[in-house]
Amino acid sequence: MSTPGVYEGVANAVAALMLLLEFGMLRQAMVRDQVRLYAAQSALISVLAVVIAADRNLPDLYALAALSGALKVVAVPLVLRRLLGAPIGEETPGVAGSYTLGPASAVLACIGLAAFGFFCFGSLGIHSPEAPATALATAGAMVFVAFGLMIVRRDVASQAIGFFSLENAISLASLVVAAGLPLLLETAFLFDLLLAVVVFGMLIRAHHSRAASLSTSDLTKLRG
Amino acid sequence: VSAAVPIPVIQVLQVLTIALGAPWVTGVIARVEARLQGRRGPRVLQPYYDLAKLLRKESLAPQGASWFFLAAPVVAVAAYLTIPLLIPVLTTYGLPLGYMGDILGGGFLLSLASFVVATAALETGSPYAQLGSSRAKTFSAITEPVVLFVVFTVALLTGTDLPYALAATVRSSAGQVIRPAHLLASAALFMVILHETGRIPVETHTGTNEFGMIEEARSFEHSGPYLALLRWGSELKQLILFTILANVFVVPWGLASTQRLGAALLAIAALLAKAVAVGCVVAVIDNSFAKLRLFKITEYVSAAFLLAVLGVFTLYLGGR
Repeated sequence: MSTPGVYEGVANAVAALMLLLEFGMLRQAMVRDQVRLYAAQSALISVLAVVIAADRNLPDLYALAALSGALKVVAVPLVLRRLLGAPIGEETPGVAGSYTLGPASAVLACIGLAAFGFFCFGSLGIHSPEAPATALATAGAMVFVAFGLMIVRRDVASQAIGFFSLENAISLASLVVAAGLPLLLETAFLFDLLLAVVVFGMLIRAHHSRAASLSTSDLTKLRG
Repeated sequence: VSAAVPIPVIQVLQVLTIALGAPWVTGVIARVEARLQGRRGPRVLQPYYDLAKLLRKESLAPQGASWFFLAAPVVAVAAYLTIPLLIPVLTTYGLPLGYMGDILGGGFLLSLASFVVATAALETGSPYAQLGSSRAKTFSAITEPVVLFVVFTVALLTGTDLPYALAATVRSSAGQVIRPAHLLASAALFMVILHETGRIPVETHTGTNEFGMIEEARSFEHSGPYLALLRWGSELKQLILFTILANVFVVPWGLASTQRLGAALLAIAALLAKAVAVGCVVAVIDNSFAKLRLFKITEYVSAAFLLAVLGVFTLYLGGR
């Protein structure tokens, strides 16, 4: 069994940490902690971009790291906090306790999903020094865990955060597989995220003004 | 200091270091913990005085308890003193008796010690002691899969499950240290150690409050020298777990690579320093987090299980 090089090891370790943060979001009851974890996960994407930029001498990626950091570590969490605008020390109604499964069962179920994603992506057989197979497979696992997060939590805020972290998983995959992607395309991905923030923002506002709660379990009443 | 020490003497030194160092490490951690809570705290040598006091006292056994009640503390301490023969306490090279058991062998000995103490507690008929042993066995059943997955990770990383081999693999390159499988397995083991030493998530390791007592409750009916052995046993267990974490997983440096006496003495100092460092981290964590409700323990263990399972996953793609 061969030992990975330092770059590959760092990429894999960052990917594994991001996956753990994804599980952290799944596990957290409070929406403000979920937002913090999302910001930390986004910061790791920027760190990975800097590592890849330094390793492969790609100055574009420094700009991407800065842009991604500004948007996902600062702007999106800020917007989310303002949207969910509960006073400090209080929790937005409808978020805590929105589990459909107990936290331990949710984690076990998502371990299953992560295994599925991990081995699906792993079986793609993309092996090269530039694309560490484990980091790519971990990104696949993250995609499935993000879906899992959106399924097991019945509140708009967690579902929005699940969707945004899905974008983080895709960013991770694209950084690992195609680090030399033109900056313009990478920036276009970030604008997708902005669009998602606006759409989710409107949804959260609309739902909150109608139901005075962020829980989606109330939505069953809208059936005709 | 530069004289070569015979291998059997080094082997004995390994056991003596753990046996005599364990109360000191416990004393230092208790002192640090007291300082964190704004108290002056007991003397560092207090655990030795406590053991000496208990050894001088008479021992009583509940009516109806059999010989097993008295034999259990002795068996437990014997099991704990066998484990230092199997793990790299002082040396980087394997000692002759180091190969008589692997990591699973060490795990079996830890379980045996825990089992005999729990069974002895059941024999007493005391509800507190029985509650403690029932809880201890229930929760150790759910932490066991985590330990197994950590062992699988070690086996996949090194091709063997000998602790000496993993320590040598970690020392071999920087790439090994930052390998996700290694980091995840180490983190999972650390979480298990926090649980096993009665710190997180539900126990208070020094408390006499019923809700927080699991380990402490089991020795409720023992007294005198037998209680001393049980106390010493839990101190030994703590230092053994810290040694496995430090010398096998996290910082397997500072061990003696030759048979010189100086190298062995340095290794003893390094081990005690590492154990105290781990203990300080544990004390800070213990004092920074609120305890969970008893049945929330599954959430904590599921997090440790997640780390260990991901560790195994990451090894499956071409060993990367």
